Amino acid sequence: MQNPLARVRGAGASGGGTQHWRSQRYSALVLLLLTTWMLWLGVSLAGADYATASTAMSSPTNAGMAILLAGTVFYHMHLGLQVVIEDYVHIVSVEFLLLILVRFFCLVAFLISAIAALKLVLGA
Amino acid sequence: MSSTKRPMSPYMLGPYYRFQITSALSILNRLTGVFMSVVTAPLLLCWLIALASGEQAYAGLSTWLGSGLGKLVILASVFSFSFHLFGGIRHLIWDAGWMMDMPQVRLSGWLAIIGSVVLTLVVMGAGL
Repeated sequence: MQNPLARVRGAGASGGGTQHWRSQRYSALVLLLLTTWMLWLGVSLAGADYATASTAMSSPTNAGMAILLAGTVFYHMHLGLQVVIEDYVHIVSVEFLLLILVRFFCLVAFLISAIAALKLVLGA
Repeated sequence: MSSTKRPMSPYMLGPYYRFQITSALSILNRLTGVFMSVVTAPLLLCWLIALASGEQAYAGLSTWLGSGLGKLVILASVFSFSFHLFGGIRHLIWDAGWMMDMPQVRLSGWLAIIGSVVLTLVVMGAGL
């Protein structure tokens, strides 16, 4: 998918090509499937008490789906917020700080989600 | 950024252009995405943390979710999700090179609005 001219000139001022754009689309496609599961689970657990909710999340299927969902959501969210910040924040230092904070938050949020889901399924 | 004042094109929303569904839905797709990033995703994370923390934390969150503000946040989250879903599908269709003529773009825009309202009503009606 690379034009020979791009190989000669490099990726230009942006330093990158279509990678970011494509990643956003691929994660969107995966989210179509995973959020369908989330919606179904959300509706079935609406107003549920602790016993019902923790039993549902102790199933390996639901725990696995939750971890996959968290990974894809926070990845997609990182890509999206990155573009919004790059478009609207024009003070370079603030932009830089926000980009790092968003990346850090998304990574930590995914790790916490995964640990919580594992705790629920392993019953630790 | 350079401090040189250069001419800029007028912003797509506001008094400069007449209302167009294309620009309105474009910014709404971003707004719903940002709303879910700032409110919905952290809320879902809190739900998972509360559930993993134990009965007391879960009961606390459930009480808050049942309050007026909690219900409003859930409604706004479900609508944001629904609109971002249909807006996103619209973008994926364009990315495939389909439905790019202006009448089709306006039609898909209205379909996204109707679809997101219907999905919101269905999900909220189903008990969320």
